[in-house]
Amino acid sequence: MFRKPVTRFTAVVAAGLLALASACSPGETVDDEDPQAAPSEGQSVEEGQFAGETLNYLYFTDGPDEQATRDNIARFEEEYDVTVNLEILPYSDLVSSLQARLSGGNAPDVVRLTGLGEFAADLLPLDEYLGSEFADEFLEGPMLAVRNNSDQMIAVPSDLTMNGPFVNVEMFEEAGVELPSTEEPWTWEEMLAAAKEVQQATGSSYAFAMDKSGHRLSTILSQYGTALLNDDGFALDKEKAVAALQPLVDMMAADEMPRDFWLGSGSRYEGANEIFLARETPVYLSGSWQVGQFVNNAEFEWAAVPNPCADECGGFPGGKFMAALSASENPQLAAEFVRFMNTTESQEHFAAVSGNLPTRADLAESGVTYDDAAQAAMDVFIADLNRTPDLGFAANSQPAFGPSATALVEQVSEVVAGNKELTAAMDDLQPEVESIVEEMGSW
Amino acid sequence: MVTVATATRAGSETPRRRRTPWGLRLAPYLFLLPNMVIFGVFTIYPAFSGVNISLYESPNGRVFRWVGLGNYERILTSDEFWRVARQTITYAFAYVALSLVLATIAAVLVNQQRRGKAFFRASLFVPVLVSPVVVGLVFGWILERQGGLLNNMLGAIGIDPIPWLVDGTWAMISIIGVGVWTQLGFYMLILLAGLQAIDPSLYEAARMDGASGWQQFWGITLPLLKPSALVVLILGTIHGFQAFDFIWTLTGGGPVGATTLIVQYIYENGFISPIRYGTAAAGGVILFLAVFTLTLVNWFLSRGKED
Amino acid sequence: MSTQAAPVRRTWTGLGRKRVRLADALRVVILIALVLVSLIPVVWTVLGSFKTPTELAMRSGSVLPESWALDNYTDALSRFNFVSYITNSVLVTVGATALTLAINSLAAYPLAKYNFRGKNFLFVLTLATIMIPLQVILIPVYQVVADLGLVNSLWGMIIPAAATPTGVFLLRQYMLTIPDELIEAARVDGSGEFRTFLTIVLPLCKPALAVVAIFSVMWRWNDFLWPLVVAQSERVYTLPVALARFNAEETVPFNLILAMSVVSILPVIIAFLFFQRQIATGIANTGIK
Repeated sequence: MFRKPVTRFTAVVAAGLLALASACSPGETVDDEDPQAAPSEGQSVEEGQFAGETLNYLYFTDGPDEQATRDNIARFEEEYDVTVNLEILPYSDLVSSLQARLSGGNAPDVVRLTGLGEFAADLLPLDEYLGSEFADEFLEGPMLAVRNNSDQMIAVPSDLTMNGPFVNVEMFEEAGVELPSTEEPWTWEEMLAAAKEVQQATGSSYAFAMDKSGHRLSTILSQYGTALLNDDGFALDKEKAVAALQPLVDMMAADEMPRDFWLGSGSRYEGANEIFLARETPVYLSGSWQVGQFVNNAEFEWAAVPNPCADECGGFPGGKFMAALSASENPQLAAEFVRFMNTTESQEHFAAVSGNLPTRADLAESGVTYDDAAQAAMDVFIADLNRTPDLGFAANSQPAFGPSATALVEQVSEVVAGNKELTAAMDDLQPEVESIVEEMGSW
Repeated sequence: MVTVATATRAGSETPRRRRTPWGLRLAPYLFLLPNMVIFGVFTIYPAFSGVNISLYESPNGRVFRWVGLGNYERILTSDEFWRVARQTITYAFAYVALSLVLATIAAVLVNQQRRGKAFFRASLFVPVLVSPVVVGLVFGWILERQGGLLNNMLGAIGIDPIPWLVDGTWAMISIIGVGVWTQLGFYMLILLAGLQAIDPSLYEAARMDGASGWQQFWGITLPLLKPSALVVLILGTIHGFQAFDFIWTLTGGGPVGATTLIVQYIYENGFISPIRYGTAAAGGVILFLAVFTLTLVNWFLSRGKED
Repeated sequence: MSTQAAPVRRTWTGLGRKRVRLADALRVVILIALVLVSLIPVVWTVLGSFKTPTELAMRSGSVLPESWALDNYTDALSRFNFVSYITNSVLVTVGATALTLAINSLAAYPLAKYNFRGKNFLFVLTLATIMIPLQVILIPVYQVVADLGLVNSLWGMIIPAAATPTGVFLLRQYMLTIPDELIEAARVDGSGEFRTFLTIVLPLCKPALAVVAIFSVMWRWNDFLWPLVVAQSERVYTLPVALARFNAEETVPFNLILAMSVVSILPVIIAFLFFQRQIATGIANTGIK
């Protein structure tokens, strides 16, 4: 008797609330309209046009690149008579901060990002301001990632990185184990055998260490001839993946690779550079961005060695992007700033100081002169760039790559923790990645 | 303080006559006004806006797609959510129970201490002052399995290294321990204030009647400590369910998700790719409802005894 | 905790005898153990902040650092414009704490001492919001703050967090213990409602105010996520934001991070020691019957 009206009342209120809520959408709702970009000549910039204006550049840093960026900004400020406000945030907070600022109508003008997925709709199509030929100044591989659905260029690949192993030369010498030449890389078996031999000879804690990162794991996948993603979605060959990753699992079980490190940081990224710097491992799989800090901080002789080969050779590409935001109050200046920061002169300075590889075609051709202590290592990475298979570039340019790589790390962690077998983990990974791809593709 | 105060004063004193019903009736609202304005604008309104957002899905907090109760359905049917919920309840329960017991012991002992009372009180409070980010960093270092301070100390008395942060069960124990460590001084202070408010003559009377120390503790201290203990219980429950910052730096929610609690689950949905902003908001609503219910229960259970 | 037969004037909480007894010894031992557990991690951090990366990397290095030189500190501090961050942190902390004490005590008073329509609702509403973690409402709050033009200003860090529900709750609980007769008596004497609050209630609440003050200082000093989002130019960075930036450089060695951590802890400890005396006298002087 009593119950019925209450239920009905609740239902009415709930329906009312839902209706109300649907009437007050929290922001813009999705529509299907797709703005078509007309081929553009770009807009020319006159001298002194921007005098006195201010630009905000939201940035994160890996260390040495900060100074290079500041140098380039100083030249820009002088040349254009503008002020650039460089805001540096930790990368882990940059995404949430940028989101909050975009939704609060207070976006920065220019931003540095590692992936464009989340922000593709907010980024300024650069062709409209810089002309459609602007894209031709850059290498094709890195350019794969910076086009939106309408084929507009929404970012500049500002620096390119290459994954690859570092070795502690002193430990190898002590153990009397040979290092490979740039022309003749190790195979995976050879590399791991050499690492274990050095571990036994020197008594180091581990034989091998790598960053806890799906991007670094993808290096090994690529060498075994497979990748998480291609243009059509999930692309992992599970057999190859098991062949590639099983040695890691075994080494962690045998304490030849730091297991605590892998399990101890949860879903956060964690670099193993400190393990290498503390001489606890003879071999460390990371990437070219470590060169700068090893030059400064390593208290022993180290070297980059070519990536080991399995089905394929070469490393795995990565990189960062520089993009202007559509919400910028001065998009023309923002676009011009992006252009300026990636001219031959600016990028050469940036690449040389930060220890990154250039993305400009002309610099890739002519080469970049690095710090003396870094040159040899950078040459190894550049050589590997040419050996890197296309599937790596294709995988890394997918918007879903970041979260898919995180899912891969989680699955491997399950195996390391002893919760499941690697084969089962790879089976479980597929639906996970497929749903991520579908979800991200639905926007 | 002055500007806020004058506004309230003018209002409450307008009716000259003492005890006018109108003045008395209006006064409480005027007292509440400044707090409630700030509160409403910066907490309540955003919270309601969060409820609205939970009915949409969004990859960035700007573009929205109406999904109705879809986010709730998705959360409540996901295994991950229930695992996280179980872990959160385990953490919160152990955290509250341990905090309450240890803080009571600490408060009673400090209160009895005549010499160095201030020293003990201050020392026990120091951990509360350390920022969560630093807590996570420092304990990550202290709890390392190999070479960490704690295992080195345990090793000195012959205990094998314990995988504090790399085994699921131990990691849960670790975050509970560290959580209690960070807030114990806070709860102790609240209980200490409660102890000091107990009339000393009660103890004297009890002693006259020949009551032992234990009898005094059970008969006088504990019952009279109840209001302060209730404060600790309510705040502890809330802190327990909200634990995030130090865990994020300490274990990152690992190993393999064993210490992922509800706020991290929400945070990851909201800010880590693939971003599901509506799902995060729905998770927030669910968390809110759960803790709100618990607090109501705590409050109503104790209401009769208050005052 | 011990039998106390002799009619000493002191309560059982303060024992009058000179002889050291088992219970006293046990109590001191337990207290010292608790103190050690509380302080060792902090002391270990301070010691670590003087060590070199090599010393830190050693599996079982010595407890004391090889040298007490301030290299880590000077190195860490020289990396940024430290004075400005400290100034901002102090301004935000002091401003927010003053505002919090003012509005929280005003709000707590009616919730403790008046009967009015909506009292329970408002109290439960206040309590309920303690349970909303900032991560959950970050974007809506930011939108409000941006609409009010408070972004990138110290006010944007001071005002939104000032109405702390925990403060209202603690003060309200404390005010419940103030006898109604005191307030009634003031009313009979013709004191206005606000004056009663200011001259009778507030002075009695000193200990609770001190507690709320410490917590406010602590929260605002350590606030991280919110300032990170609101403070967008270096001009308004607070210390934790600067620390985070420092932390963000993947290449910063752990010894420098420890040094920075110590620098970030010190001011709050000093502030606490300062307030601690206030609390002690506050508690001693309040004539709660």
